[in-house]
Parts: sequence; structure tokens; C-alpha cells
Amino acid sequence: MNNHTTQHKALEVKNISKFFYTPQKFQVLKDISFSVEKGEFLSLIGKSGSGKSTLLYLLSTMDTDFSGQLSINGTDLTNKTQNQLSKFRNEHIGFVFQFHYLLPDFSALDNIMLPALKLGKRSKDEIRDSALEKLNLLGIKDQAYKQANKLSGGQQQRVAIARALINEPSIIMGDEPTGNLDSKNTNIVFDIFRELAQESGQTIIAVTHDNEFANNCDRKIVLGDGQLIEG
Amino acid sequence: MVSPTNLKISLSYITSRMRQTLVAVLSVTFGISMYIFMNSFMDGVNDTQSDMAFSTLAHVRVYNDVPEDKSNLMAKTHQSDEVVHIRNPRVIRYTENIKNSAGIIDMLSKDDEVTGVAPQLNTNVFFRNGSTKINGQLSGVEPNKEDQLFEISKYMVEGTWEQLNSRSDGMIIGSGLATRLGVSMNDHVNILTADNVSRSYKVIGMVTTTISGVDNAKAFININSARQLNSKNKSYVSDIQVNLKDFTKAPEVAAKYQPKIPFTVEAWQISNGQLEAGDTLRNILAIAVSLTILLVAGFGIYNIMNMTVNEKIREIAILKAMGFDAKDITEIFLVQSIITGLLGGLIGLIFGYVISAIVNMIPFQIANLETLPISFSSIDFVMAFVFGIITTILAGFFPARKASKLDPVEIIRS
Repeated sequence: MNNHTTQHKALEVKNISKFFYTPQKFQVLKDISFSVEKGEFLSLIGKSGSGKSTLLYLLSTMDTDFSGQLSINGTDLTNKTQNQLSKFRNEHIGFVFQFHYLLPDFSALDNIMLPALKLGKRSKDEIRDSALEKLNLLGIKDQAYKQANKLSGGQQQRVAIARALINEPSIIMGDEPTGNLDSKNTNIVFDIFRELAQESGQTIIAVTHDNEFANNCDRKIVLGDGQLIEG
Repeated sequence: MVSPTNLKISLSYITSRMRQTLVAVLSVTFGISMYIFMNSFMDGVNDTQSDMAFSTLAHVRVYNDVPEDKSNLMAKTHQSDEVVHIRNPRVIRYTENIKNSAGIIDMLSKDDEVTGVAPQLNTNVFFRNGSTKINGQLSGVEPNKEDQLFEISKYMVEGTWEQLNSRSDGMIIGSGLATRLGVSMNDHVNILTADNVSRSYKVIGMVTTTISGVDNAKAFININSARQLNSKNKSYVSDIQVNLKDFTKAPEVAAKYQPKIPFTVEAWQISNGQLEAGDTLRNILAIAVSLTILLVAGFGIYNIMNMTVNEKIREIAILKAMGFDAKDITEIFLVQSIITGLLGGLIGLIFGYVISAIVNMIPFQIANLETLPISFSSIDFVMAFVFGIITTILAGFFPARKASKLDPVEIIRS
């Protein structure tokens, strides 16, 4: 079993190119190829307009309008339908955005449980236990039953991370996950990611502007004008 | 069917903006209660109209008609290329009555659709009191059967209808006719038939139907007295009046019996097109008005659903990012509008009933009405609910589809 899974890279892209057509034709990504190992903590950096966020959304399978090949854990994701991709994301990818995007009327716990309820592989009680465990891991178990819009910014972001973790995804993707946080909370989030990569072997790919954050990662991928400069 | 997770999200959208939800629910409530009120009111008006019309008019009438076209009586027996000329033609009817009336009455009575059959012997006469002479109709009736068909006892203003059974010299007279003749209860009225027979009857009752053709020109006597007056035998009948369970089926019933009965079998619609037209037009009006109101309510819901979608656009994006597919998103918003519709619909049913019941108590003393007429029928309530739900589903469907088609990347990145 272990042997079988290690045969695949966590993520692999080959010759990815992407064009924007409005306002005029413009190539955002130029023939990008790289691969990511399991348990790697990777940051994606570059100046604004370099295409790093665009690349992340391609990797996340939400954007399918590109040429080239994308596979995650050995599954080729280039010719799947939207619904197949939704299902794949639900099971294999966790998201953390700059903004938390929690459902404001749901409690922290209910927010975290959502992706797992959608996946439907475990009973509601198991999901609740697992959600509480994630909250505990992130140090905000005492906030579990508070409504999401009553939490502080740092707490909300941690709830969002817990939500990304609930289905034990193999890859966690972050789009400036610490962009809205102060340095104390940034450090907390960074440490959580670091721990996840090391202890549960989950792969982390984060787009960031924060050089300190990027320098502390296992690996940096630098984009410039749609091309891979370093990585 | 609906996943509990999606339902929970829908419910949170409903409860998070109570004011909006309330407005949406109220617009459905208003639409549905107006639908019920309009239709119950129009049904009430139609029923009243029918009641009034059918107080003298039977649903189907069997009578012995003279040939319709009297200009060429030989048309049936001679070729059209022959020249036939009859000087001063006259119709000579061998029988003016309905032959084998007992057999016809028996056959009609056995039909499941038929609720009552009443034979009549109608004669055109002069009513005379002193020097006053008024042309009118004397209707010989079987009192019990006549009342069963036309509920004429309801319209009695003096005396009782049942007395016609026992008083062979008694006559019940239209109140307007009585005034014109200058007679009151227990006075005698002399009548003169076309055959120059004259007889006196005693006024034992008066009737006011509000239909001037009856009130001002008609009187009733027992059918046996009428036969006596016309010197006819015991089964002599000039008209057979038939009532049906459903008066709208009169043409079908008339068509069914016409081949079996060698006389004219006529549905009420033939001679009273205005009644049917009025009924139909009022129904169309009621449906048009109430559907318009529902449509407006539908736009209200559509608007509110669109606002919700715009407001929750980022949540939709994140749900999609987490793996909720287009079907889930559609479900979330459609369920929201269906719940709104069900809630508004149920309240609307109650509200519609209450409004109608209140209107039914408003005094309206014209003709034989006492309050504004309302008639409740379960089909109106069912239709109101069905239309209401269809409207909310349609109104919710388009915003829901819009939400399901949103591109999460575009939203998250903007």
C-alpha cells in the first residue's frame, strides 16, 4: 500500500500554458512544468501579474481553461467534467484563502463539517468528533459552537484551515493564507502548515507575498512573466 | 432527495435575513389569498346568477315545436326543381302536446345525470280583473316536482307553494302581475284562453323571483286544473323540464336524448347564450386577475432570490471550491424558494379563506341577495396552492441556475 502510493508524485504539471482573451489575447502562463513530492511545503511567489495565482487555480482544478497536463496523486485531471472535478476537490484538496469565506450564520463546528458532510463517507458523529479534533489541533476548541461571524480574524482563518483539513486531503492549497493576518497569527498558521507537512505527510502549496514565509518553506517556486524562474 | 447539508444551508439563508424572507413569504401569501378570494367571489356571483336564472329555467327542456321554417312547408316532400305554390299556408299541428309523456319522463328519470323531471302544461292566456286585461302565461305544474327543480317555494312572498297540491281552484301569481291586475290574496282572477274558455281562480299565493318575465306575466296552477281548463286527458303535457347534476353538461344530455325523443330536446345554453357567456367571461376575468397577482408575487420572489444570490456570491464560490457541484448549489437556492412558497402558500390559503368569509358577511341587498356572494370550492384552494408553488419554483429557478453557473475562480480572485 505504502509502496503503491509513493510511486506517484503529489502533483505533476507538464507544459502548462494559459491565455487570457480579454481585453486582448495575452499569455499568462508559458509552458510550465514541475512536480511536487508528497509532504512538501512549497510556496509560489512572484511579482503581482506574474501568474502565480492563476497557476494555483489551475492546480486546484477550479480553472480548466488551459493546455498541458495536470495530475494529482497519479490521477490525470485534464479531461474531467466539472462534476467529477468537484468530487475530486472535495476529497483530495483543501483550500485556504486570503479571506476565510466561512458561512457567517453557521457555527465554527458546522462550517468545518460541511466538506465532510458533502463527501458523505463518515457518519455525522464521526465527522463532528473529527472536526472537534481539528479545532483542538488549531487551539480554538473552545470556540467550536460560536457563530463564525462572532470570531476574531485569526480565529476565523484557523476555522477555515480546519475546514480545509476535515477530509484529510492530500494537498492543501493556500492563496495568500496569511495575507490578512498580523505577524503573530501568521506565525501560528505557518507552524500549523509546517506540522501538517511533516507529521501527516500532507502537501502544502501556498501563494504568498510574504518573503519570510516563503523562505521558511521547503521549496520556493518563483514565477516571472508567466515563466518558471526558479523552482 | 434534498441532502440534509444543502437543506441546512438553505435554512440558514432563510433565517439569516428574516425581513427579506418575510417580504417574500408575504408576496406569495398575498398572491394566493387573492387568487382564492377572486375565484370564490366569481364562483359566488356565477352561482347566484345560475340560481336566479334556473329559478325558472330548466337545464334541459323537451317540447313540441312547430316547424322552424314555415315559408315552404312542402320542402321535405317535393324536389327543389318543382315549383310548388301554396296560397296562404298555415301550420296545422295534429298534436300540440308531447305524446307518450309518461314514457319520456320515465326514461329521463332513470338517467344518473338527471336530478329532477317536471311535466308542465303551459297555456298563453289573458288575465282579467274587471276591465284590466293582461297577456301572460298560465303554467300548469305538478307542485312537488316543480319545487324540486326550481325551488320556487323559496320565492313565495305570500301563501305557501304546497297549497297548489290541494286547491284545484287556487292560483299562485307573480307579484308584479298581481299589482298590475290590482288583486291581492284571496281575490279572484278570471282567465281567458285562446280557445275562448274562461275560468276564475282564487289567488292563494304570490311569488317574487326578481325575474320580470315571471313576476309580471306568469301564474301557476295545478297541472290537473290546467288539463281541465284545456279539456285534455290526464297525461297531457306541453313541456317536460329536466334538471341535471351539472348544468354545464346540458348540451351533451340534450344531444344524447334527441334521437330517442321525437320532440325538441333543448339545452338551456341554446336559448340563453348570455348566461353562459357571462359565466365564462367572469371566470376568465377572475383567473386573469389572480394569475397577474401571482405573477407579480413571482417577480417579488425572483428579485429577493437574486439579491440573496448576489449577497452570498462568495459563499457560493467557496462551496464550489470545497467540492459542492452545480446541482448542490441549484438545490440550495431552489429549496429556499420552495420553502418560502410553501410557507406563503399555507398562510395564503388561510388568509384567502378569512378574506372571503369576511366579504361574505358584507351586506348587499339587491335582488334576492342579502350579502355579497362567495362560494368556496376545494378546487380553488388546490389550484391556488399549485399555482403559487409553480410560481415560486419558477421564480427561484433562474437565480438558482445563475448561482450554480458562477465561476468560483472569478469570484474569489476579484
